[in-house]
Amino acid sequence: MEDDLKIASFLAKGLRQEGFAADHVADGEEGLYRALHEPYDAIIVDLMLPKLDGLSLIEEMRRGKVNTPVLILSARRTVDDRVMGLQRGGDDYLTKPFAFSELLARLQALLRRSSGQAQPTCIRVGGLTMDLLAREVVREGTKIDLQPREYDLLKYLLQNAGRVMSGALILEHIWGYGFDPQTNVVDVLVCRLRSKVDKNFETKLVQTVRGVGYVLRAS
Amino acid sequence: MFFAPLDRIRRTIGLRLTLWYTCILVGSFLVLFAFAYFYLFLLLQEFERDRIRSEFNECLELLQSEGVDGLKKEVALENRLAGKSLFFVHLAGPDQKTVFLNLPDDWRNLERASFDRRPVQPGIVWSHLSKEGREYELMSFPLPDGHVLQVGKTAENRRVLLEHFYGYSAVAMVVVMALSFAGGLQLAFRTLTPLRKLIGQFRATITTGNMDVRAATGRTGNELDELAVLFNGLLEKIKLLISGMQGALDNIAHDLRTPLMRLRGIAEMALSSEASPEVLREALMDTLEESKRIDSMLNALMDISESEAGTMKLNKEKLNLLRLVEDVADLYRFVAEGKDISLHVVCDQGIHFTADPIRMRQALANLLDNAIKYTRPGGRVDIEARQSQAEIVIKVSDTGIGIPPGELPNVWNRLYRGDQSRSERGLGLGLSLVKAIVQAHQGKVAAASEPGVGSVFLIHLPMGS
Repeated sequence: MEDDLKIASFLAKGLRQEGFAADHVADGEEGLYRALHEPYDAIIVDLMLPKLDGLSLIEEMRRGKVNTPVLILSARRTVDDRVMGLQRGGDDYLTKPFAFSELLARLQALLRRSSGQAQPTCIRVGGLTMDLLAREVVREGTKIDLQPREYDLLKYLLQNAGRVMSGALILEHIWGYGFDPQTNVVDVLVCRLRSKVDKNFETKLVQTVRGVGYVLRAS
Repeated sequence: MFFAPLDRIRRTIGLRLTLWYTCILVGSFLVLFAFAYFYLFLLLQEFERDRIRSEFNECLELLQSEGVDGLKKEVALENRLAGKSLFFVHLAGPDQKTVFLNLPDDWRNLERASFDRRPVQPGIVWSHLSKEGREYELMSFPLPDGHVLQVGKTAENRRVLLEHFYGYSAVAMVVVMALSFAGGLQLAFRTLTPLRKLIGQFRATITTGNMDVRAATGRTGNELDELAVLFNGLLEKIKLLISGMQGALDNIAHDLRTPLMRLRGIAEMALSSEASPEVLREALMDTLEESKRIDSMLNALMDISESEAGTMKLNKEKLNLLRLVEDVADLYRFVAEGKDISLHVVCDQGIHFTADPIRMRQALANLLDNAIKYTRPGGRVDIEARQSQAEIVIKVSDTGIGIPPGELPNVWNRLYRGDQSRSERGLGLGLSLVKAIVQAHQGKVAAASEPGVGSVFLIHLPMGS
């Protein structure tokens, strides 16, 4: 639900490219009707909607016993707005302007959470294997020693393999920080990880997509 | 009238004050008058009764010594001397029959029944008679032999005197009313003058939008002066907020123009040349990076403006100083390691204080970021946090390039970048954001530096901020 048509079309296009089926509505009333009468896996709601604002919409929806996960979009950035959005029944919050990759990652996290998928104990991408129970990483038979932060980052990238993760997402996930420090600390961490995971191998798994973020890909 | 609504306000409050004032004054006057009237009445009555009593005694003496004839003779003599009959004298026998009666002229229209009554109880009985506006005092006394002696007198003198008193009082009353009304009006007017001035200031401020006008404040320190002081304070605050907002807007507009210009430049360059997809890709990445920069700049600028305008929202919590410092140091550990800079934390355990955790981390991260950025490989950065009385002091020192003394005061300014720092990437907002956050917590920042040796940045925070 987004009243800015340009943003809406770019979101819908992006989501369809990622294999989602996406519907778009431009006002709150229609959005509420659809949310109450059609089964969606997740809803993305802009807070400033015509006819019925996003927060009221979410409240109405929750009152109607619809527990579809909701990702809130807002141009307001204060902590209060975020807290308010989450208190009223939203599940996650994203401030405009945002990177599409970040929206995607958050959306997938919401879907994972709501579907209650069991976490795998072992992740394999390319020649890299991560044993989540033993906290061990092996690439093509070579054991790789990682420090906790490096391990966390690799795990995060592996879990989201093939998806570009923005610096802000990584910062929030690894350190729990919600702001961007000036020096790119994420850059530094990724560099360290890369030197341990990719240095002696032909295929570079950890890749940088400049301006967007980082991705772990086997190709 | 030039200020018609103002005049109306003055009139309503002023008039009400005046009316109350007048009412109270007139009321007091009425009470005073009632007391005076009553007292005068009693005094005059006693005076007349004294005269009646002495006449009575005289009559009684005569009656006892010379009998009824003596009384008759004496009364007749008195009448002749005075030229008219002054006292009413009546002697009634035990059988109610009149033995002797001296009836003055002004008693003639009184009905006989009104005084011809035998007192029921022994002793002197005073009666007050009135007929056709005239008043009479009558004293009756039953004699031991069954006779009743009555002596009376008109209370005409008293009535006239009281009437005069009444008349004069009425005149005085009108004067008092007029005076109190005029005085009340004057008082109300004078009392409301500061208020009227204040209203004038309000009106002037609202109509002209000129925030520099200040209400005149007297030195008496009364409520109205207080109001004027408060009004001035309000204006000051509004002015500060407005100028803060205007300043912030100007600054943001100015600061965003440069990155926007770059953004535009990149896009134009990419469009104008017949570039390969690779080059276009590069350009797109550049625009993304640039837009990210604009976003973080906007955030930092808004934080700084909010704090300068005093509207920064802080979500304060009880924080553990050691944890805070170690958290931030942890964030930069790899960055420091990558630059071969040793990072040391010195902080006692168990120190708690109140602050916004996100903001504090942000401030510390910016300081640390700076310190590491301007320290050459092989150097060291120290974070020392401690409690000093009611203050938390966080010191970030480095062995970096230092800041020339001439530039030191400017490092906290928005978008200021020293000559040596231009080569480093950054927004030029880091330190001003630190200052903004610390000031929002009612704290202070300080910096010291020696070029080539290193710099020290200090944050002082009140414990309970």
